[in-house]
Amino acid sequence: MLDARILKARADFTVDVQIRLAAGERLAIFGASGAGKSTILGCIAGVESPDAGEIRLGATTLYPPPLALHRRPLAYLTQKDLLFPHLSVSENVGFGLANGAVDRGARWIAELRERLGLAAIWNNRAAKISGGEARRVALARMLARQPPLVLLDEPFVALDRPLIRELTAALDEWQRRLGFILIAVDHRAEILARLCPRVAAIERGRIVQQGDWDAVGAAPATASLARLLATA
Amino acid sequence: MRSKWINRLALAAFAIALLYPLAGLAARVGPWRWDGGIPGSTGAAVRVSLALTALAIAIVIAIGTPVAWYLARHAGRDRMLWEAAVLISVLMPPLALGLLLSLAYGPASAIGGLLMRLGVPASNSATAFVVTQVYVSVGYYIVAARAAIAAVPRELEQTAALLGLAPAAVFRRVTFPLARLGLAAAVSIAWVRALGEFGAVIVTAYYPAGIPVQIWVNLQTAGMPAVMPLLVIFLLTALPLPWLVHLLAQAHDA
Repeated sequence: MLDARILKARADFTVDVQIRLAAGERLAIFGASGAGKSTILGCIAGVESPDAGEIRLGATTLYPPPLALHRRPLAYLTQKDLLFPHLSVSENVGFGLANGAVDRGARWIAELRERLGLAAIWNNRAAKISGGEARRVALARMLARQPPLVLLDEPFVALDRPLIRELTAALDEWQRRLGFILIAVDHRAEILARLCPRVAAIERGRIVQQGDWDAVGAAPATASLARLLATA
Repeated sequence: MRSKWINRLALAAFAIALLYPLAGLAARVGPWRWDGGIPGSTGAAVRVSLALTALAIAIVIAIGTPVAWYLARHAGRDRMLWEAAVLISVLMPPLALGLLLSLAYGPASAIGGLLMRLGVPASNSATAFVVTQVYVSVGYYIVAARAAIAAVPRELEQTAALLGLAPAAVFRRVTFPLARLGLAAAVSIAWVRALGEFGAVIVTAYYPAGIPVQIWVNLQTAGMPAVMPLLVIFLLTALPLPWLVHLLAQAHDA
């Protein structure tokens, strides 16, 4: 269960949202660039600190006080791959696993490797692989620990359609099986709808509408949301 | 192709000019005197320089690395203050630093008196030698190490932390490996700075004499013939460690 109330002042408005998700639920956060979507994910991940509010994940309080990053039971994937360039692909994927856990989780790691097509580059240096490959590695590394909460901040930017389809399909399947809470942020409705049946639309830091994609699409609460849905 | 050769010629001219002082080793100063007229002094000076400088650099790395990390990673207003403190230590003329150290840690000062009562003489002792070397080199180490650590993207450290690594493990597995070339340069600069220190050391630790002070003693007592061999030994002693550190750091980059 994720229970988050986040207040965070930005230059021209204040992000003020409440998000409640049960285990296994998925939520898309949809809005124009600069609406505060990334701020929300950043505050939950811990790379940004809210000004006020409360964030709890199960029995763990993430804020306040801000819980140290390494104690947060979550995974966070952004537009940047942020692979460790001095390590191999396999070392990147197993990076967050404690010593020995690589062996214990061998079957799961092998599944990630095969499903994401990493076998051929498994021992390559992360600095020497292509952009598309790096994205797959970042996804595998994020899921290796089987976190109870997964945060995706526009992770499909600059990828071609077949790859986006492949990665969202894999994520969809694993989410069903592992039951993690998934929050995905994007300004493209098409990609979000693939991953999350429910959407929260954000404008200037506030949720202006929540519900199924069909319901929101049928009667957008604001004119700008209608425009955004039409162009996305 | 032609510009490549012009570049090479220019660099060769620069290298020759840079290394030209070494031609002094061929100057006619009379037969070299290997022990400078003081039996055993050369060996003793080499031992003092190598052992005590190694100890000083170990202390510099132990103290300087966390400070460099803090300065590289914290944007608070207090950082300006710590940076100013580090810069003052770097900018201080060595002779002035030596004189100030001998006053601040000398027998007349509170700390010096306390050390004396504890049986640790704070001047003309191995302690004085090491303390002086730490003072003269730690600022250089911190300035270089800070730049090396700051060059590691902060987001990579955050990513490592979000994968469950505690801060010390993040430093060991991400920051250090990615900053190692710069950190190797920082160690080299600190080593050479400490080993070659003369102005401050001659005030605080005339004894035990390291190589630079021994060069001065030999010059005073027996002239250039007693200095020449010590200069060669000094160069041979100072160069291998930084060289090795660089080679090791680069080897992992292959």
